[in-house]
Amino acid sequence: MDENIYRSREFLLDKGYRKMRCQDRTDMREALRGLSDTEKLCRRFEQAVADEKPVFYSYDEFGFNRYRARLPIISLDKDYPFFYHDESFGNITIDYETLLKKGLSGIRADAERLYDKADEEGKLFYFYIYRYFDACELIVKKYTEAAIKCGKERLAAALRRVPMEGAANYFEALVCIKFIHYALRLNACCHLTLGRFDQYIKPYFDVSVRGGMDKAEALYLTEAFFISLNYDGDLYQGIQQGDNGQSMVLGGCDENGKDALNEISEICLTASEELKLIDPKINLRVNKKTPLSLYERGTKLTKQGLGFPQYSNDDVVIGGLVSLGYDLKDARNYTVAACWEFIVPRCGADIPNIEGGMNFPLVIRNVMLADLTACKTFSDFRAKVREAILKECEKKVGEDNAIPFHDEPFISAFVQPCIAKGREINHYGAKYNNYGIHGVGIANGADAMEAVRIAVYKDGFVTKEELIYAIEQDFKGYENLQKKLLSLPKMGNNIDSVDEQAAFLMDAFADGLNGKMNNRGGIYRAGTGSAMEYLRAAKNVGATADGRNAGTPYSSSFSPSLTAKLNGPFSAIQSFTKYDLKKIINGGPFTMEIHDTVFRNHEGEKKVAMLVKTFIDFGGHQLQLNSVNRATLLDAQKHPEKYPNLVVRVWGWSGYFNELSQEYQDHVIARTEFRC
Amino acid sequence: MTGKIFSIEEFSTYDGPGIRTTVFMKGCPLSCSWCHNPEGQSFETQYIRSPNGCLKCGKCEYAGKRIGETIILTEKSAGACPRGLVRVCGIEYTSRQLADRLNMNAEILRTWGGGVTFSGGEPLCAIDFISETVKFLKKGISVCFQTSGFSSAEVFEKALSVSDFILYDLKLMDNDEFRKFCGADNLCILHNYKILAKSGVPFVTRIPLIPNVTDTEKNLKAIARFMYDNEVNYAELLPYNKYAGGKYRGLLRDYNPGFDESLPVCARKDIFERYHVIIKIM
Repeated sequence: MDENIYRSREFLLDKGYRKMRCQDRTDMREALRGLSDTEKLCRRFEQAVADEKPVFYSYDEFGFNRYRARLPIISLDKDYPFFYHDESFGNITIDYETLLKKGLSGIRADAERLYDKADEEGKLFYFYIYRYFDACELIVKKYTEAAIKCGKERLAAALRRVPMEGAANYFEALVCIKFIHYALRLNACCHLTLGRFDQYIKPYFDVSVRGGMDKAEALYLTEAFFISLNYDGDLYQGIQQGDNGQSMVLGGCDENGKDALNEISEICLTASEELKLIDPKINLRVNKKTPLSLYERGTKLTKQGLGFPQYSNDDVVIGGLVSLGYDLKDARNYTVAACWEFIVPRCGADIPNIEGGMNFPLVIRNVMLADLTACKTFSDFRAKVREAILKECEKKVGEDNAIPFHDEPFISAFVQPCIAKGREINHYGAKYNNYGIHGVGIANGADAMEAVRIAVYKDGFVTKEELIYAIEQDFKGYENLQKKLLSLPKMGNNIDSVDEQAAFLMDAFADGLNGKMNNRGGIYRAGTGSAMEYLRAAKNVGATADGRNAGTPYSSSFSPSLTAKLNGPFSAIQSFTKYDLKKIINGGPFTMEIHDTVFRNHEGEKKVAMLVKTFIDFGGHQLQLNSVNRATLLDAQKHPEKYPNLVVRVWGWSGYFNELSQEYQDHVIARTEFRC
Repeated sequence: MTGKIFSIEEFSTYDGPGIRTTVFMKGCPLSCSWCHNPEGQSFETQYIRSPNGCLKCGKCEYAGKRIGETIILTEKSAGACPRGLVRVCGIEYTSRQLADRLNMNAEILRTWGGGVTFSGGEPLCAIDFISETVKFLKKGISVCFQTSGFSSAEVFEKALSVSDFILYDLKLMDNDEFRKFCGADNLCILHNYKILAKSGVPFVTRIPLIPNVTDTEKNLKAIARFMYDNEVNYAELLPYNKYAGGKYRGLLRDYNPGFDESLPVCARKDIFERYHVIIKIM
């Protein structure tokens, strides 16, 4: 690691700079009264730009750091959903290719060319693009002057071109990306992904290599860029700190299906390994032909305890996206949203995590309470559950289609073919406008189904009425029954009968969403992720037949329930790869916690790599692997001061353990309880 | 035939080549004072309490069996624990049941040149059960023993005949010392080691480093010399794990290893080098 990188990393981890930010906040509510929401948002951006002053941190190559911690206060007319009220549209991979090639001026020129022929709506959209881009130019000007003043010649030179013009080398491309993240975030976009960085940056990287950039310089610039992505990460938090969307996808195939892993992928892995910072969050695209050596490289990163790389399997994902209707070229180009949802860069404006999710344990519980007594056979019960899942899908579609969105002209400028069409993303401007719905508590749901099958129908050790009463009472007075239920076969132990229950639930979910249209002309996609719902949704769900107590969490995403006694990783992998995951490809990883002592030498690392490759070769879609030590986590809860930089994977993202609220800390610890 | 097993661990990474499943057989003729699997010592089924999440309510002990001053956790203790933390330790498997369980992972084990490791306890005590289990295993699953070598030569040769790999402990060369810390004679162990060295079955010698017990210059020298005499040139040193005592409380036993746990261990590479033995510290 370069000396300057080392120092700037220390500076970052000290976090003292966060206190230096200006806490003033302009109140625009009065001034904006009576204007449209689109106008209010644009004015907020213009005001935010006016309020900002250039900020450079120690050894900072890039600038574009927030001066003011918070954006001006505005009040919107409509009650937009939580995600899109305080936040703007995000969680997509913008068209970095076009931005880097044409710059803002080039994109604006396209809009200008189309302006005269555009309809009213198109004209309004272009008009806002000019406004946003003008404001961008102001920031660039401020930074150019400041860079000259501070003697940052390299940055000053770069800013003469980017972001207004296209980039001419690696450094300029990095500056341009850093700028666009800063600018979109000044427009309240909190989840902004980095997409296939090693692909779209390659032409500029190659120019620099031809111009004499050596390996050390390339690594230096990449590491400096990674550090700069971390400065303001705390300001863009979603549910908890760290949930800021800066995921980066490396490797995979190109549009023609050829392996596209390159030297930049390698440099990014090295940078991430050396820096041990939570951003960017690395995703590795792999397939059956991926050599063990790449997994070994990934395992070295896992060893750092950051909870990434997350792996996704091209063999499953690409086919899954194609069967949902994505063009093959787009599918081959897939990226990962803030957490794990598979999205298409450049031309996708999917919302892969639309409000809530399919809460399997709740649906099953409700069917039990309402219909179990009338079900003569287990098949009758299954039919009722399927019916309920289909109905729940209808309901979710209805609810989601009623969600209002405000216009998003700024980010739409970077999504194809919005400009060509003269429509921003919430007016069908993008090529893809699909919604994704999470499948929450799949393992708990499958376990509950299996428990009903065995306890009520097969072995009959409890009557329907008694079981219903027991879950209504949260097993109070039925502790022995609960223990018996907990000891029944659970998903994760490679037992066909339980795994088949999960397949049944996922089929019903996928079928329920199949053919449903959303209010933006797109479709619905079923997934295996839970996001924060493993805690939030589980909180209000009473006891379930798998033996789970009322209010206690589900497992996160696609993994065995927290109370399941597990045989181990081999069985778990086989359980979770039986289903044809192409059918439920919105995303949501199988999660595995491995004790950190396994990684203590190269032999152990290699064996973990074998395990990961096994999961992929067996047809797993996505894997999140964590190196954890329960004792360390417990100690960190007691003595946070000893572990300022302890990082854990929370769900789709990694965060500093100390910055998580206790319920999230507890869940991370609970996940380790029955694991190897 | 049946065997008593106290744990089956998938993805064990330090018990032989490739990725493996380790089967822990219950019962051991030795009683090493530093044993970190005390639940594997007795041949009887036992109950053990996990400390994670224990409410310290005492219900398990109240439900247990009293023999004079000592309390033993029983099946009733398992039923009494409100959090289900008392688990049975020692389940009878038929050789067919065990093989079926292991065969479920055959594809994974085979792919990476891995297989099954029989550990314990002392797997040699269950040689007939293991031999029969091995017959039922799918082709391509390698078989490994992790053993103290404490058995008759006849039993040991039986084990060799079904093994693809052996992990063999050499703890203490001096018989009096061995008797003091491990509770038996080491003569058969040394004898079986000679058989092993000549057998052609690939193996690794493992030496636990116990402070002031096995890591003394005298003992390490004797081990190195013994290896040299048997033309063995590689060994793995396993430094004492300070958490070894953790499980004893779970069996309501005190941990009195008879040496000072806090002392650092001496991994004397130089001694082994003198006898042309390459070592790796694990």
